[in-house]
Amino acid sequence: MRRFKDHLFLVYLVASTIFVVLPLFHILFCVFANGLPVLMKGGMNFLTGVLPAPGDGLGGIGPAIVGTLVLTVLATLMGLPIAVLTGIFSAEYPNSLIGRATRTLLLIMMEFPTILVGLFVMNILVIPLGSYSALAGALALAIVMMPYVAVYTEQALKDVPSRYREGAFALGLRRRTVVKILMSMARKGVVTGILIGIAKVAGETAPLLFTAGGSYTVYFQGINRPIGAVPLLIYQLVQQPYQNYHEIAWGASLVLMLIFLAIFLPIRLSLKEVKL
Amino acid sequence: MKIDKFKLALLPITTVVFGIFLLMLIVYVSQSIPIFKKEGLAIYTTNVWKASETGEEFYGVLAAIYGSVYTSVIAVLIALPLSIGFAVFVVDYAPKKLKEPLIVATDVMAGLPTILYGIWGAFVLVPLLKRFVMEPLYEHFSFIPLFSYPPITGYSYLSAGVLLAIMVTPFASAIIREAYRMVPRVYREGAYALGLTRFEATKVLLGYIKPAILSGFLLAFGRAIGETVAVSLVVGNTFNINPSLFAPGYTISSLIANQFGNAFIYNYMPSALFAAGLALFVIGLVINVAGLIMLRRWSHAKV
Amino acid sequence: MNAIETENLKVWYGDKLVIKGVNLEIPEKTVFAIMGPSGCGKSTLLRAFNRLLELNEIARVEGDVKLYGKSVYEMDEVVVRRKIGMVFQIPNPFPHMSIYDNIALGVRYNKIAKNRKEIDKIVEWSLKKAALWEEVKDRLKDKASNLSGGQMQRLCIARALALRPEVLLMDEPTANLDPVSAKKIEELIFELKKELTIVIVTHSPAQAARVSDYVAFLYLGELVEVGKTEEIFEKPKNELTEKYLTGRMG
Repeated sequence: MRRFKDHLFLVYLVASTIFVVLPLFHILFCVFANGLPVLMKGGMNFLTGVLPAPGDGLGGIGPAIVGTLVLTVLATLMGLPIAVLTGIFSAEYPNSLIGRATRTLLLIMMEFPTILVGLFVMNILVIPLGSYSALAGALALAIVMMPYVAVYTEQALKDVPSRYREGAFALGLRRRTVVKILMSMARKGVVTGILIGIAKVAGETAPLLFTAGGSYTVYFQGINRPIGAVPLLIYQLVQQPYQNYHEIAWGASLVLMLIFLAIFLPIRLSLKEVKL
Repeated sequence: MKIDKFKLALLPITTVVFGIFLLMLIVYVSQSIPIFKKEGLAIYTTNVWKASETGEEFYGVLAAIYGSVYTSVIAVLIALPLSIGFAVFVVDYAPKKLKEPLIVATDVMAGLPTILYGIWGAFVLVPLLKRFVMEPLYEHFSFIPLFSYPPITGYSYLSAGVLLAIMVTPFASAIIREAYRMVPRVYREGAYALGLTRFEATKVLLGYIKPAILSGFLLAFGRAIGETVAVSLVVGNTFNINPSLFAPGYTISSLIANQFGNAFIYNYMPSALFAAGLALFVIGLVINVAGLIMLRRWSHAKV
Repeated sequence: MNAIETENLKVWYGDKLVIKGVNLEIPEKTVFAIMGPSGCGKSTLLRAFNRLLELNEIARVEGDVKLYGKSVYEMDEVVVRRKIGMVFQIPNPFPHMSIYDNIALGVRYNKIAKNRKEIDKIVEWSLKKAALWEEVKDRLKDKASNLSGGQMQRLCIARALALRPEVLLMDEPTANLDPVSAKKIEELIFELKKELTIVIVTHSPAQAARVSDYVAFLYLGELVEVGKTEEIFEKPKNELTEKYLTGRMG
């Protein structure tokens, strides 16, 4: 009987493992199976063209791809400095009240519902400016990205063996100089954090819903104008009743997935573990 | 005392982070005030959605709160046994060659853009669930309230719950796996030395990491309740408070995603949606803080 | 009668041979000490007796261990571990469980008691045997983590005894205890050998001299010398043993 329970237990373990990872492969498979024909049929035009009218063929998702690129770059430019410096602060002063509070806040923000970030940015930026804009979308993404980069920076600095820190201080260097030296040693961890943050925001939809606005028939028009993004486009197309829009959505999903895997897999394989 | 110039220089930047968070809270509270003034707590305790450009407006988001909690509960109830089983398998049983790929696969899942779950959920998962789960159960067991709603479209609490379960399981299992892996060797040996079988010993060791499991549970719940696009594509987006798993409903985040686009033509709808957002803000904050505190206590405790 | 015999026992960790063919005879109802410098393979040898080595993926065992003439490697490993109890270097009662449950756990799973009343009896009996009953009888429901180190170790002895083992393995049981608690454990060992066989691993020759009837000296995975404790301590035959006993070995 006890042996029987042991076997039953193993069956449960194997079954849960299968149920946990099976969806991933099914998703990958479905995105390929539905997206690849679209990409083949649409050809290069699918990557560079603009959104067609309902029922009017595949067209392309060019503006959305450029939009994602622009938004990600802008978000990184906005979020990065604050994030890295915040990470440095909480690594350098881990026991001060503010240092501890910062760390807690970063972890909370990592788990914060991203739709609320979108709504917030809409209120402080979109309404005053009177229009959806690339700027607003990027700001929302920057807020989402920041805690990831900060937490990774902090961890990377903490992982530098303390003898280097002590050694640097023992040379009579100022803290600013010491941190500079430590940062160059922690570079890999910091870069990892930035890339994880980029992979994260490049796939985000919710923060863009009421900030970026979406723009799929014309290319980038300026940071104060509405802008499209691949995830946002997919979200909007899936809700439309048109067959060709669904096809475009699958094609765009494949593009998004490939972008994500291209950033994420190399980082993941070069590391022991990631924090998502 | 010497002034630390470096700290002084960094301080304002760190303050910006706190400022953003505080500003968010202020925005949500202040934007909710008009609806609170008009309706009081009825915004949270009633299920009404009367939007009107000229006449009387009235909003109550109870259906969305109910749906958020319901779908997230379904999600963690499914996710928990799976993530525990997965964690134990990876740590104790998986052959070396399988271990790393399994962990990488779940990490990919945890990071995968949620919209991909959304499109897969809407076009693949919902029809599957409808055909193979909902319809048979409805046909034979519709006298049970849980299965009493006819699965016409398939977009339902169940679909959202299952999709969320798939999305949060990798996250929960990472927390549990890490805790289980770190169980000191003496306890592992101690359990087996008492003549326990693998199942029995594992049960004891899982009892030992119970705080970590509980915090994984809370954090997964926090993730599920905040998820937006994937859920809004499968939950049905209907003002509904129904006990049946197969009924369509709303969640707070999908309500916001769906209604905010045209909210500004009404006087009070934006405020009503901010009030819904405030509820999500508070629920999410409480759950996540509880989960984080528990996790931190666990990792610092020398039980 | 020998409680435990080993026949050309070898243990590998990966490609590394750590126990190099050990032949031992451990007479029943005695205290048998295995001593040697740290890293000599004492703990590994002990874990080959109750097959706890199998928890270690890279460990491989060759040769045989016999419990009262029967090969443990041909028995069910769960049964082996019930018949051969073990106490560890770090006191390891499960901290999340009560004092009572720590003892009842093995009893329940191994179906040693039929009902609650019998379990109660066994818990009381084994706590008395481990000289802990008086200290904890009013707080059996307390978490085991509330006990002192010495109490925890006696709880571990109690929970091993509750399974009525034929042999009790002790892996440096006093290494992490204060001198007073250590002394209590040593007194306990003296009491217990009336009923069962005790194999104790220690890196302290003094302790081996105090508690054991027989002693084996293990060095780099090889058995250097075995014999009656007083004989070995008075007149070691091997130069290595003498060096170790006189403290001239690192």
